[in-house]
Amino acid sequence: MNKRGYLQISFAWLFAIVVGAVILFLAIFAATKLINTEQTTQDAKIGKEISILLNPLETSFETGKTTSLTLPVETRIYNKCKTNELFGKQGILISQKSFGKWTDTNIEIEFVNKYLFSENYVEGEKFYLFSKPFDLPFKITDLIYITSYSKKYCFINAPEPIKNEILALNQGNFLISDCPDGATRVCFSGGSNCDIEVNYNMSYVKKDGATLYFVDDSLMYAAILSDKNIYECEVKRIMQRAGNIAQLYKDKASFIARTGCNSNLNEELLTLSNTARNIKSSSELSSIRVLAEDIDDKNSFEDCKLW
Amino acid sequence: MIKIVLKIVNYGEKIKMISRKKKGQMKTKKLKTSKSKILTVPEISKSKKISKISSFHLSRKSKGQMKIQQMAFMLMAVTLFFVLAGIFILIVKFSGLKESASELEERNAMLLVTKLANSPEFACGSAFGSTRINCVDLDKVMMLKENIAKYKGFWSVSNIEIRKIYPKLEGDINCNLGNYNECNLIRIYDTLVTGYDMSTFISLCRKDSFEGETYDKCELAIISASYEEK
Repeated sequence: MNKRGYLQISFAWLFAIVVGAVILFLAIFAATKLINTEQTTQDAKIGKEISILLNPLETSFETGKTTSLTLPVETRIYNKCKTNELFGKQGILISQKSFGKWTDTNIEIEFVNKYLFSENYVEGEKFYLFSKPFDLPFKITDLIYITSYSKKYCFINAPEPIKNEILALNQGNFLISDCPDGATRVCFSGGSNCDIEVNYNMSYVKKDGATLYFVDDSLMYAAILSDKNIYECEVKRIMQRAGNIAQLYKDKASFIARTGCNSNLNEELLTLSNTARNIKSSSELSSIRVLAEDIDDKNSFEDCKLW
Repeated sequence: MIKIVLKIVNYGEKIKMISRKKKGQMKTKKLKTSKSKILTVPEISKSKKISKISSFHLSRKSKGQMKIQQMAFMLMAVTLFFVLAGIFILIVKFSGLKESASELEERNAMLLVTKLANSPEFACGSAFGSTRINCVDLDKVMMLKENIAKYKGFWSVSNIEIRKIYPKLEGDINCNLGNYNECNLIRIYDTLVTGYDMSTFISLCRKDSFEGETYDKCELAIISASYEEK
């Protein structure tokens, strides 16, 4: 009798334990999922906030704008660049440190009208953002550069205008003297232990065995601060936009002709548009610059300026 | 102390027994049935030996079943409680998410509209004399409107609208290539403007001609970026 009674109680307990374990498992599973979802949401939200905060970096008269971004926890900002579609896409992926581990998120915040230059990812709690306009010959866009507060760049033997600009930026991680150990050494005309070499006259930057070409100071900073893949991708995107803006000016030239405002830039603008859209790498930038300078000269002598 | 309460004994019918663990006296219950009578345990033992044995088995079995049933109901109730609580938390959480998405859209529109007039597709640049800020080139905007399919989703807002406010025109006259000198409303995207918008003042300039002479004409306008509430 005792044995049977024992068995009955045992079954009840067994039943309770099994169902209880299932409930506990489901609760823990749901809680874990919820935490992951919350982390992903947070990452996506920060990504979106960063993308919105890039709006004020659009310049008008200024030659550059700088700002800083401080996040509550250690964060990695991944820079994703795509050249698909008409204007390509700029993506940001955020990963934050939670309980000593980086959150694994695959929600990418994408936007079309921004061009972000950085390494594959920048890491830290505080970031510097600065922007410079890019003209070819009319304004194409503003280039935005993201660097981590903790990563120092030392500009050695920089030309006077660059030195002045760096001083004016007053960005804590850009130095022109007293290079600390561990800083990335950017040499302009020679120097020892250079991580990045800039040939300012020949308009190219050498880093990690790759050569990146530029046509103005804004692209020079971009080449210094970006990974090769990101730089080349963003250059293609910028040229896609340049091609479309050139097309817009060409259409405008035809449109305003009815007011007696004749412009003889139609052909040049069409050539610029097509060349810019079909650019394969930064090495082709110099030919576009020649074309752009020619167009700019002609426009400056026009009675009806297009830009 | 175990006391057994005998409930009903119907002659020639089944016996039901419910046992209880309770401190106190034995409780006897009499039902208002003519053929019922109350028996104590010893009496049952004497009168119905077989019934006593089966009642004992029934008692143990039903006790166990009852417990399992109670437990099952309890567990179901607990599960249901957790599920409902989870759903409630998710609803609260996602409604908060919608709110913050709307907030972000609003902030995006607000920050964008202040800079939109200076973006290359809109800005006057130096086309009207000196370089101007917050100046929109209407000739360029009309061309942009003609090619707007390319720029779908480019500014991450639902629509962009430019409305001339001075000189004032009666009613809304949508601008197109034919009437753009005598209109007051330019919707960059052809879709209707819904949701909320953020605006800022701009000067709207274009090339015009009078008696064969070309001149720059600038008017006062408002540029709005609208966004949908999530």
